[in-house]
Amino acid sequence: MNYSKPQSFPPLVHRLYSVWYRHFRVYVKNIFSNGLPPFLEPLIFLAGIGLGLNKYIENMNGIPYIEFLATGLLVVSAMFTAAFECSFGTFLRLEFDKVYDGMLAAPLSVNNLLVGEIIWAGSKGFFFSLAVFLVLIPFGIITVHISLLTPLIGFITGIMFASFSLFITSFVKDINQFNFYFTGFLSPMFFFSGIVFPVTNLPEIIRPVAEIFPLTHSVRLVRAVCFIDFRPELAADLVYIAVFTFVFAYWGIKRLKKKLIQ
Amino acid sequence: MSSSVIEVENLNKTFKSIPAVVNIGFKVEKAGCFGFLGPNGAGKTTIMKMIYGKCLRDNNQNSKLKVFGIDPGRNELDIKYKTGVVPQDNNLDEQLDVFTNLWVYAKFYRLPPEEAVTRIKELLTFMELAEKQKAKIKELSGGMKRRLVLARALLNKPRLLILDEPTTGLDPQVRHLIWQKINQLKKQGTTILLTTHYMEEAFQLCDEIFILDFGRKIMSGRPAVLLEQHIEKYVLIIFDKNNFQAAEKTAEHNNLRQEESNDGLRLYGNSLEQLKAFARKLNMYEYYLRQSNLEDLFLKITGRNINELQ
Repeated sequence: MNYSKPQSFPPLVHRLYSVWYRHFRVYVKNIFSNGLPPFLEPLIFLAGIGLGLNKYIENMNGIPYIEFLATGLLVVSAMFTAAFECSFGTFLRLEFDKVYDGMLAAPLSVNNLLVGEIIWAGSKGFFFSLAVFLVLIPFGIITVHISLLTPLIGFITGIMFASFSLFITSFVKDINQFNFYFTGFLSPMFFFSGIVFPVTNLPEIIRPVAEIFPLTHSVRLVRAVCFIDFRPELAADLVYIAVFTFVFAYWGIKRLKKKLIQ
Repeated sequence: MSSSVIEVENLNKTFKSIPAVVNIGFKVEKAGCFGFLGPNGAGKTTIMKMIYGKCLRDNNQNSKLKVFGIDPGRNELDIKYKTGVVPQDNNLDEQLDVFTNLWVYAKFYRLPPEEAVTRIKELLTFMELAEKQKAKIKELSGGMKRRLVLARALLNKPRLLILDEPTTGLDPQVRHLIWQKINQLKKQGTTILLTTHYMEEAFQLCDEIFILDFGRKIMSGRPAVLLEQHIEKYVLIIFDKNNFQAAEKTAEHNNLRQEESNDGLRLYGNSLEQLKAFARKLNMYEYYLRQSNLEDLFLKITGRNINELQ
């Protein structure tokens, strides 16, 4: 062994990549059980809706209902996977497995660790959106054009919900408390973010709430690329997502740092 | 530049107004082995964590903490790059197998892939784990896990190795194997910082020991020198309560220090003959006569009672 070679810790990009790589290796280790469900889920959903509900509701806002609903699904899957990763996943790595303790002895800072985590959750969002997208094409629900940007919107959605979930995780003391987050926040969002019916159909009083829900803005982006319907208001959605992500990532990381560095 | 790898002065750490480390100062020279001894809750682990930035020291002006000349509060990455850490609890990635555990860490240090593979194989052989490459972490015994954590800490050829109770809970075979490896690393120029509850371990490995209790320094120095200066050479332990009175008399008569505890009465003295003379009056299984060791010293200065932190 020689101890004389000049050394320096890896640059930021590599540090983030190495954190991402750790999560990637854990994920692909069970490629069958991790990789298949993202494709099965939309299939089951389509079967359920296509065979049943579709007979009663033919179109929504001038769009065939199955297309309306399925395009919303593209970001819902990204939302749930990123939220799981950065709530239950992060909590387990933090409290039970002590994975972070080990990683923090390597040349990584808490910021590197958690930003890497967010990027990983974004990548899962990308993959889950892509899976739904690939399932929708053969059914003719989506056609391939600018809609190819969908996985990218899945990535953005993933990053956004990963940041918010880290923030939530920073408050959680017992893993069961995540139930409130999922049933109290994420599930309602599924119904009131314009996935199942347009936000404009909500009563006047509730509409501002829908605008606060981050998923509403992801849904607008994904419908815009799927139906090639770009309006200037989309800029506001992008800004909302950017600000929301930044604020909660910053705040969540700051709070989690206190748990990781005594 | 000084040859010290670690320089510490006036180091303090308070957890929610409870002082965990109080005014600690020490220096660790290159290729030396420096050992912390102290009861549970004495502040050993906290000091270790402050050295690699896992814990931040209290901010006061005259405190100083330099590792490789760098303040871990400012640039922990540089220190962590050159340091290997074996924490008290094994924190292996249970979701990955033995090889991949090391492979992922090689990425953290940015070892080139071919070099990483060579290095991992080399370390697994060094730690006698070569056959376990593909094993799941759950299939490993406690000793194997510990060796794997040690192998992981050695991936980047660290110049400083931090070992927090490296052999706690391991059988004597594995413990001796780990000692042998640590000595080998020391010879190669690695500086070692160690905490342990095994006095034998501290005696075998450390050039210098630092005994602390309630976050404060009790004493420090070379183990042999400390023994010589602070405790009598021999100890006679008497188990049978019926013999206590006679023993106490002898002790007073010969000016021997005595210490009573639940497991017996101890007579400490520098003359082996004196102790032997008394021991001859006892039955064979009622006493134990031996050289005093670091554990006797440790118990002498930290007391036999258990405190609320332990």
